[in-house]
Amino acid sequence: MSELILTLKSAPAQRVDCSPLTVDKLEGKNIKDIAALTLVVGNQKLRVDELFDIDGDDPAVMRFENATDKLDHIGHGMTTGTITVNGNAGAYLGQFMMGGEIIVNGNTGIYTACEMKKGFIKVNGNAGDFVGAARIGYKNGMTGGTVVISGNTGARTGDHMRRGMILIEGNAGDYCGSRMVSGTIAVLGQVGAHLGYAMKRGTLLLQQPPKNGISANFNDCGSHTLAFLPLMFASFKKLDSKFAKLEPFSRVQRYAGDLSGIGMGEILVKI
Amino acid sequence: MIINGVTIDETFAEAFPMRGTRVIITAQNLEWAMNSAQAFTGFATSVIACGCEAGIERTLEPHETPDGRPGVACLIFAMGGKGLAKQVETRAGQCVLTSPTSALFSGLPMDQEEKEIPLGKNLRFFGDGYQISKMIDGKRYWRIPVMDGEFLAEETTGIRASVGGGNFLILAESQPQALAACEAAIREMRKLPNVIMPFPGGVVRSGSKVGSKYKALNASTNDAFCPTLKGQTKTELSPEVESVMEIVIDGLTEDDINKAMRTGIQAACELGAENGIRRISAGNYGGKLGPFHFHLQEIMA
Repeated sequence: MSELILTLKSAPAQRVDCSPLTVDKLEGKNIKDIAALTLVVGNQKLRVDELFDIDGDDPAVMRFENATDKLDHIGHGMTTGTITVNGNAGAYLGQFMMGGEIIVNGNTGIYTACEMKKGFIKVNGNAGDFVGAARIGYKNGMTGGTVVISGNTGARTGDHMRRGMILIEGNAGDYCGSRMVSGTIAVLGQVGAHLGYAMKRGTLLLQQPPKNGISANFNDCGSHTLAFLPLMFASFKKLDSKFAKLEPFSRVQRYAGDLSGIGMGEILVKI
Repeated sequence: MIINGVTIDETFAEAFPMRGTRVIITAQNLEWAMNSAQAFTGFATSVIACGCEAGIERTLEPHETPDGRPGVACLIFAMGGKGLAKQVETRAGQCVLTSPTSALFSGLPMDQEEKEIPLGKNLRFFGDGYQISKMIDGKRYWRIPVMDGEFLAEETTGIRASVGGGNFLILAESQPQALAACEAAIREMRKLPNVIMPFPGGVVRSGSKVGSKYKALNASTNDAFCPTLKGQTKTELSPEVESVMEIVIDGLTEDDINKAMRTGIQAACELGAENGIRRISAGNYGGKLGPFHFHLQEIMA
């Protein structure tokens, strides 16, 4: 068994639904079966071998080469295995993911880790809007697992997020932690406007004070030494991320909100 | 069998299955962790009236605790999982939650065959809605707002099928000599992991037998080992024995108790006959009540 490598032949003009290409769905299939699978591309169906050169046969260790931002739904609902994406990935990377690991060496589109349940996603690049969010009209975003973004994220990071962790080494866009139900988002860089908009519960952990300030819907609870922070930093140590090398701190300024709602969320800013 | 002039009786200690867990209490410094741990393990010498048997296993360096602060590991045992859960919960609520700067963690990972028992799971309601849950590395922790800041408690702790009631008796020519031998034994036994000696200072002077002449009591003084009754009852004691003390051991496994008994008896025997130590014996009920038998001569072989 050797790593299954899917090399994109040429950049598709239409979006490609890559959700059939996970170890769960390819288990037991040989290279011929995989080649004969059809993927929805725009308004038509194409065989996998029309889009990709296929090499190797172990779907548990899969790699996309020459990937572009048209490849949607990579790692859809996967429960185990590793997917490496060299190049950009499209929308809904790791949607409904229940285990395993996805590494993207490039940027991802919108809805990265959408409604993810468990597992690990690392994006060595930027992610689009709605990281770890719920689909439109749905109430529950990410419910577990860890997402690490080495670059920046778009708007509404963690929208409706319920559990799990989103760690952003760069900057987060506007409305970071909007409508968040619980979970943790940590940002090493800056955050955009409207931080924690309509946030219910959960934690936004900031390494630096937000340049747009804290919204009027969050009240200052003062400076504190919080005992859970050292535990959390210790859990970062095993990650391949700047977070692993972060100097642990437990002194934070605590702001509670969003007080237009139940106001049980918190923004913690390092002091 | 005679070690250093001390006779090792051909008898056995009879022990019972219990359920046990380890909790880790940390605080700003060791003194405050110890204050909390002593309260947590207080009034827990015997399940007969305390509901559990508990003790301090050892102190922990900052690098050994989950939150990097000084801490104390406590072991607590009860006859069943439910009883253990109740004891842990009430004790944690009154003795750890209340103790300044404390935090409470599980010291035993979950065992597949055993259920977990709550630690912070129900204490969280003290937070009156302001409590916050955090999942870190697959474990849930509760942050409960209290007047000195935040009380951090792990949600649950694992329990293990354990062994309680391992014991041995030290028979000596005088009370100070019996106590000195017990102190020497306890000093060595406290260095061992996974065991506690739940009685005050690790030593019990009122060993009991099953039953009593009084109907209301199901245990009473072990008259066969009471030196003042040598001429009054069917005694176990020879004329020169004037004082008997017992060391009771609870441990996470049978093997841990074996090691603790061996270490303790060895330390007592090192004082030897010249220090008035005459015999080592053990308490049992004829082998009918407890499934674990620790034969002294086998342990010391």
